[in-house]
Amino acid sequence: MDNKETIYTKRMKVADLLAKDGSLLSILQRLEIKLGFGEATVAEACTRYGISTELFLMICNIYSHKDYMPDVNTLSEKDIKSITAYLHASHKYYTTVSFPSIHNRIHNLVKEIDEVSRRLIDKFYDDYDTEVTNHFRYEEEVVFPYIESLIENGRENGKKYNIAQFEHNHSNINEKLNDLKNIIIKYLNEEYSSPLRFELLGEIYNVENDLSKHSLIENKLLIPLVEKLENSNEQGE
Amino acid sequence: MNKENKYKIILIEPSEIVAAGIASIIAKQPEFSLVQTLSNTDYYNAANSDIDIIIINPAVIDYNERLDIRASLSSTTAALVALTHSSYEEKVLRQYDECIGIYDNAARIIQKLKSAVEENAQNPKSDLNELSARERDILTAVAKGLTNKEIADEFNISIYTVISHRRNISQKLGINSIPGLTVYAIMNKLIDISDF
Repeated sequence: MDNKETIYTKRMKVADLLAKDGSLLSILQRLEIKLGFGEATVAEACTRYGISTELFLMICNIYSHKDYMPDVNTLSEKDIKSITAYLHASHKYYTTVSFPSIHNRIHNLVKEIDEVSRRLIDKFYDDYDTEVTNHFRYEEEVVFPYIESLIENGRENGKKYNIAQFEHNHSNINEKLNDLKNIIIKYLNEEYSSPLRFELLGEIYNVENDLSKHSLIENKLLIPLVEKLENSNEQGE
Repeated sequence: MNKENKYKIILIEPSEIVAAGIASIIAKQPEFSLVQTLSNTDYYNAANSDIDIIIINPAVIDYNERLDIRASLSSTTAALVALTHSSYEEKVLRQYDECIGIYDNAARIIQKLKSAVEENAQNPKSDLNELSARERDILTAVAKGLTNKEIADEFNISIYTVISHRRNISQKLGINSIPGLTVYAIMNKLIDISDF
């Protein structure tokens, strides 16, 4: 996609954004923007739902344009809360919709395959599931509360921790999913060629794509904003 | 070398001036024959399997594919020679058998073309996508849970070499995690599931 021409702006219609990139649908769902918005522009829709237009555009642009770098200086503390709320909603979506759906499809696929491959794929996926669930839990139980206390009380309560540590622990959760995808595409015996195999792969591609955008939102928006807040608090002391 | 005893060359270079210059240098050499000149890879024809050398300006390859140049050229097994107008990262140039700069003189260019053909003959790229015997051994060790240090000791190679083998293995298979490599190793009967 050619980015300069198609960077989204607040005067564009929400429907036009979706026409350019259908994967933006998941953003609307997580921000609880209802469909049926007619010809509403981005600015109108954001005002109606009480979402920062700047932030909404940044999230959409990160999704659609891989070289896009948001200018976090135009965002405020209030936006940090919106970002964590967004990330929380997307965790919930992955754990209640995406992963159960993949799990279900794997379960149905492995029913058809040989004992050895079945055990391998089952175990591989279960381990991945545990790893990614732990990753989300860490963000929910450690990172988000830390950010909240940083906003409420300043640096004081969070002295022991800083967001750079999160960045450090931020392992690539997509690696194993990509491995699983390649194993199912290339190495699972070709005799297992039911439509299920294609459907499972389609689902993995979607989740993989979405998870990579999720990480970009953390890396390009959340972490720089929190670092800025940490620095301003330190200078204030 | 083909039956007319000439090395067949394809040149992929967007600048007409530079392409004409290279063509005139090659035309004076009895052992080389320039069979096709292209301005980009769009019209590169994978059916040209008897080509010995591809001279290509790295700038015509999409940035994301520069690290996998052979894949962009339909996994060709020809010798690859970079024709550079500006400088490139070492990891980009490492994929070429030789590198010609536009300030090289005719004698130097011809010398580099010859050395590229020799280099390519010594390291045939035909099994580029399959694991080598050594890589299979290393993969088996990784799947069994050995650390890089243990693998280095067992095969009597440096840790750096182990890491480089592992990088190549992952690149070929598209599998990066150790559990993923283990699944591959068992499915391909490199190790038994009881080791798992």
